[in-house]
Amino acid sequence: MIADMREALQAVLGPVSEPVLLPGGASKEAWALDADGRRLLVRRAAGGVIHRHTLSLRHEFEVLQAAHAAGVKVPEPVLYIEDLDGREAFVMERIEGETIGRRIVRMEVPEQLPLQMAEELAKIHALRPEQLPFLEEASIDRLVDELDEVGEPHPAIELGLWWLRENRPPPRELVVVHGDFRIGNLAVDENGLVAVLDWEFAHLDDPARDLSFALVRAWRFGVPHLRLGGIADAEPYLERYNELTGFDMRPEELDYWELAGNVGWAIGCLTQAQRHLTGQDRSVELAILGRLGAEVEYEICHLLEREGVR
Amino acid sequence: MTERPTADELAEAIQEFLAGEVLPTLADPRARFRMLVALNALGIVRRELAKLPAEDDAEQRQLAARIRAGDVPTGTLARVKADVEENLQVASPRYLDRYPDGD
Repeated sequence: MIADMREALQAVLGPVSEPVLLPGGASKEAWALDADGRRLLVRRAAGGVIHRHTLSLRHEFEVLQAAHAAGVKVPEPVLYIEDLDGREAFVMERIEGETIGRRIVRMEVPEQLPLQMAEELAKIHALRPEQLPFLEEASIDRLVDELDEVGEPHPAIELGLWWLRENRPPPRELVVVHGDFRIGNLAVDENGLVAVLDWEFAHLDDPARDLSFALVRAWRFGVPHLRLGGIADAEPYLERYNELTGFDMRPEELDYWELAGNVGWAIGCLTQAQRHLTGQDRSVELAILGRLGAEVEYEICHLLEREGVR
Repeated sequence: MTERPTADELAEAIQEFLAGEVLPTLADPRARFRMLVALNALGIVRRELAKLPAEDDAEQRQLAARIRAGDVPTGTLARVKADVEENLQVASPRYLDRYPDGD
């Protein structure tokens, strides 16, 4: 397998070091290798089923190119390969930096990290949608459809969806969003943010939703009192984002979309477990998410209390 | 409560993982033997679970449908939260410690 991969890569990149398969996803492989003195990472489709609402590798590569051209801190996209040993793939720069959330919240991260996050997000939200015509619009209604497909009763999630329907803020103009912008999908070092990773959930959406996703409690990695991903309070992040975008995003919008992010992740836990239960990807890791979703449901109840629901 | 994966489905997932992914990597004959015994024990657990009566989720379904229809009288959240807490006591009991003073 490794020899085949090396041969396939040499055919397009010239001489390369022995590729190393990195641990991780069921639907995508990641290979690390060096070529011509450059540190590279190859993302390649794997055997597993690709989720709905995620970009193909070709489109993910195009988003990465657009973001890179606009000066967003991302791994430099190198090459899209339609057929790499039988599957779609692309090559990008291999970034150095910590990506594991549990480690980042324990690191001495610089104070400017929250501001850097806001700066990158402002650049992403300024990307021109017409450049990326394949991006789909997302809506809260899609969450309901996903929950119905799971087919299990989850009153806490229903209560969250009910509140989101009743309290929707005036919609904002849709922008290009990252779709999974949070600690865990950012490479960080002692100088702060190195790169924004994992663009497969990019789509068109309300910018407030993207801005608030990093507040979801599940991504605070055991430091729950620091609302922005376990590293800081949300206010400086929000202020910097407003300064740069002029969007004048209100704290209530963050609250609303933080709740929406929790509802989305609670449903995400169920759909991940479904991948195991339906036999798409048999895995203990996916299976247990079906039960750990109760943590997210508890947070939904907690946030509803904050909003005055009784 | 009728959370999924059910206890049996979880046990099945563990069984598959141990038999499919861990067992083939074990070189030490004693560890291999003990793994086979453990898998056997897990089989007993699953057969024991299979004898339990199936749980009924009708009440949760009714509650979910009522909320979907917008019928959310005062007290609904407290009731739902208590049910979630009960699930958490099984799925992740220490998680509740992360909300000091009910915060």
